[in-house]
Amino acid sequence: MCLAIPMQIVEIDGYNARCSAKGVQREVSLFMLQGEPVAVGDYVMVHVGYAIQVMTEQEARSAWELFDEMLAVVGNDS
Amino acid sequence: MKNAQDWLDKIRALPIEGNVRIMNVCGGHERSISMAGLRSALPQNIELIAGPGCPVCVCPEEDVYQAIQLALHAGVILVAFGDMLRVPVNVPKNEIRSLEQAKAAGADVRPIASPREAVKIAQENPEKNVVFFAAGFETTTAPVAAMMLEGVPDNLLLLLSGRLTWPAVAMLLDSGEPGFDALIAPGHVSTVMGPEEWLFVVERHGLPAAVAGFTPVSLLAAMYSVLRQLLEGERFLDNCYPELVRPGGNFAAQKQLAQAMQVVDSNWRGIGVIPASGYALNPEFAAHDARKRYPDFDAAGRKRAGQMPPGCDCARVVLGKIRPNECKLYGRACIPKSPIGPCMVSDEGACRIWWASGIRTNAEADA
Ligand code: SF4
Repeated sequence: MCLAIPMQIVEIDGYNARCSAKGVQREVSLFMLQGEPVAVGDYVMVHVGYAIQVMTEQEARSAWELFDEMLAVVGNDS
Repeated sequence: MKNAQDWLDKIRALPIEGNVRIMNVCGGHERSISMAGLRSALPQNIELIAGPGCPVCVCPEEDVYQAIQLALHAGVILVAFGDMLRVPVNVPKNEIRSLEQAKAAGADVRPIASPREAVKIAQENPEKNVVFFAAGFETTTAPVAAMMLEGVPDNLLLLLSGRLTWPAVAMLLDSGEPGFDALIAPGHVSTVMGPEEWLFVVERHGLPAAVAGFTPVSLLAAMYSVLRQLLEGERFLDNCYPELVRPGGNFAAQKQLAQAMQVVDSNWRGIGVIPASGYALNPEFAAHDARKRYPDFDAAGRKRAGQMPPGCDCARVVLGKIRPNECKLYGRACIPKSPIGPCMVSDEGACRIWWASGIRTNAEADA
């Protein structure tokens, strides 16, 4: 179903955030991170449009690398 | 210990005698394992088994059937995660057998990637009921719960088919023939629900377990951990994904799940009812429950409801009893372009993942 992807928070408006990953921007809900101190510039793991946890930049980068590799493989498929 | 090669070397240096079967229960794990070629990179006596990690594959056939009937006959807009659209139901040849076919026949069926899109579609179409057919494990069902609590329009209804991951593993372990010797626990389910959910594997059944992330490095670290536990006779639940998996998990998400939904006994396609393994909406949200609003479209009792398509061995694939290419139809009648069963449809289905990673021959043909 929908892979979880790390994104960086660009803008916050209540529980709504604008997040970006590799140049693509998306609306993301921060509703599941109530009680977590999240700020613009932070990295979050996003699943089906909802941030499920905060993460470090380093972890975000290694996850992005993984996606690039997988996309390269899947791109050759079917 | 930074790269995958170092971990592989460390695993190869372990004095493992006999065969060890390590099961994963997450489509994302299976995809990383297959794409990185970890099966062939590891010593031959270590077998990696794809277990119950695909919520689309185990979504009850009768729920998919109900979604199709609602789309065709109830005048609703039916929205679902894209994977669900091609899942086939068991109907005679000339009848509509998937949401995709219902759409082609004129029904208003729309793929979505987020519960937020369902809310938006409901807001934009106030004159119609929008039914959100929501299948998924905890990581997907928690956002659906969050959506309900954030507040949804009156015309948004849920056909909820959420499932919990651990009860299927508990069922395998309780069966006496689990088919595996160690467990790699799912990373994002543990991110939300907390790693402690998996303690029963270690404490009650004495099997090593480790939570893993999705990079080959994290997966190999988890495999190394469970192999060492086996060798040294130690048992503990290791956390090889500490970057996201915190003790207790995401408390806000768990609270939201409990506020919106309750855990109930649930049917798994081709497998049967597993106790306390699914989610149902709480009574406060009954007005948003498509099962309550449209009871006439519930035809769970029809012949062949709940089953896999004829010849499809997806249920045994899901439980890790056979490898995907041991199904007689794999790579023959069943390929991603013309899938017979849900395991070849979903991106999280083991058949689909194996095919995408380049395994094109049936195990029978190999022999
Ligand atoms: S190969 Fe196709 S028919 Fe066989 S188990 Fe997988 S999905 Fe079912």
